[in-house]
Amino acid sequence: MADGVLSPGVNLEAFSQAIAAIQALRSSVTRAFDCLKDGMRHRETLEGREKGFVSAFQDSLHSVSRDLGELERLSNLVGKPSENHPLHNSGLLSLDPVQDKTPLYSQLLQAYKWSNKLQYHAGLASGLLNQQSLKRSANQMGVSAKRRPKAQPTTLVLPPQYVDDVINRIDRMFPEMSIQLSRPNGTSAMLLVTLGKVLKVIVVMRSLFIDRTIVKGYNENVYTEDGKLDIWSKSNYQVFQKVTDHATTALLHYQLPQMPDVVVRSFMTWLRSYIKLFQAPCQRCGKFLQDGLPPTWRDFRTLEAFHDTCRQ
Amino acid sequence: MGVTCVSQMPVAEGKSVQQTVEILTRKLELLGAEKQGTFCVDCETYHTAASTMGNQGQAGKLMYVMHNSEYPLSCFALFENGPCLIADANFDILMVKLKGFFQNAKANKIESRGTRYQYCDFLVKVGTVTMGPSARGISVEVEYCPCVVANDCWNLLMEFMQSFMGNHTPGIPSVFGNKHDSIYSPADSMVQYMELFNKIRKQQQVPVAGMR
Repeated sequence: MADGVLSPGVNLEAFSQAIAAIQALRSSVTRAFDCLKDGMRHRETLEGREKGFVSAFQDSLHSVSRDLGELERLSNLVGKPSENHPLHNSGLLSLDPVQDKTPLYSQLLQAYKWSNKLQYHAGLASGLLNQQSLKRSANQMGVSAKRRPKAQPTTLVLPPQYVDDVINRIDRMFPEMSIQLSRPNGTSAMLLVTLGKVLKVIVVMRSLFIDRTIVKGYNENVYTEDGKLDIWSKSNYQVFQKVTDHATTALLHYQLPQMPDVVVRSFMTWLRSYIKLFQAPCQRCGKFLQDGLPPTWRDFRTLEAFHDTCRQ
Repeated sequence: MGVTCVSQMPVAEGKSVQQTVEILTRKLELLGAEKQGTFCVDCETYHTAASTMGNQGQAGKLMYVMHNSEYPLSCFALFENGPCLIADANFDILMVKLKGFFQNAKANKIESRGTRYQYCDFLVKVGTVTMGPSARGISVEVEYCPCVVANDCWNLLMEFMQSFMGNHTPGIPSVFGNKHDSIYSPADSMVQYMELFNKIRKQQQVPVAGMR
């Protein structure tokens, strides 16, 4: 069996000769070092000693270089053994006679099939995902920016001045809503939106993308102890925790990568409908309370109030 | 601090005050409300001392000094229809010093004690109102914590109260009327308690007078 696999690429004769050449090279190298280790033998004169040593060392070096030359010649004859095998050197694992104890080869083949399949499916998935316009992370944007023509706007590289303008315009649009813009961490804007005397919303932006929003009560503290906007802790009240969930849903709903300012405006328009959070009964069941909560859902199109469970 | 409605629950016919309170708390527990300890609101009455009255013989105003376990560090001093002062708890000691101007009508001390319940964002406090040794009535305080404007959430509050008070649900409290869009404050709750206590005192005056 070994012959069958190896014979196409390997000259077995040369192979055994090469092994012998390696052994010869090893012994001649050992001899050269032995000669160095022993140093000058005891002779009558100093000159005789040096002469004897140099000639012995020269001889051993000569034999090293001769053996090396021989090995190099033979190695060309040996050829490249496993080039033809589809699994390259790992194909040699199939030569293992004790298949039952070490089933490496079959496992390897299986893993290979899996990895092929995975690559194929990943390729399909990436093709499908690239068709969607939802690109929120910088990494994806970076990849697609290379592919897209440069004329198209990328929403992550807008100047801060432009973001300020858009927010100012929205602030003027809704008199019952006040928007406070700050940039505590570099260029990313953070908004504190106060809606009437009903609620406060912390909006974390990246350029004109809304990254995160947290809704809190009008009487709740929105600052941390060191006076920064607290973008992590949630509201103490169940009703505002629910509204926070819905606002996050709304962020994913309002998506228009080419016109980010429209997205922010639609989100704020939707948010404004919460001015009647405690005053509007559910449009379906007509009641104010369900499980102790007022209608916390606002329809994305009609802005009508519904309970979370009444909205379907 | 949210919007609060304080009201009186009439004692059910053929039942004692204690039994009516139990019926009410059982309804709350069935609704899913969780018990969260106890509460206490008390009210002391002070007369303007006779020596400081004007020569014109005008009637002395009554001043009420109240405490609420929800605000343990504060003391509330109120005149009827008048201003409400919120002070630190040691205001009581100051009142002792002002004995010459304000005299404590000790017999008029009235308080409401009971259990505090939480249901979602609602706080419900059902208390027994006692004056001296006798139980005089039942107070029900319902607070909707997330909201700060009284008129915004009145309908919502009413719907919640209907769910466990049935047809004894109160009408809109008078303090809500003058608030418009301003923010509801703890003092507004104390005014409601003061009005409730005054109402209960008057209710009891008739039989008490008859006994004399």
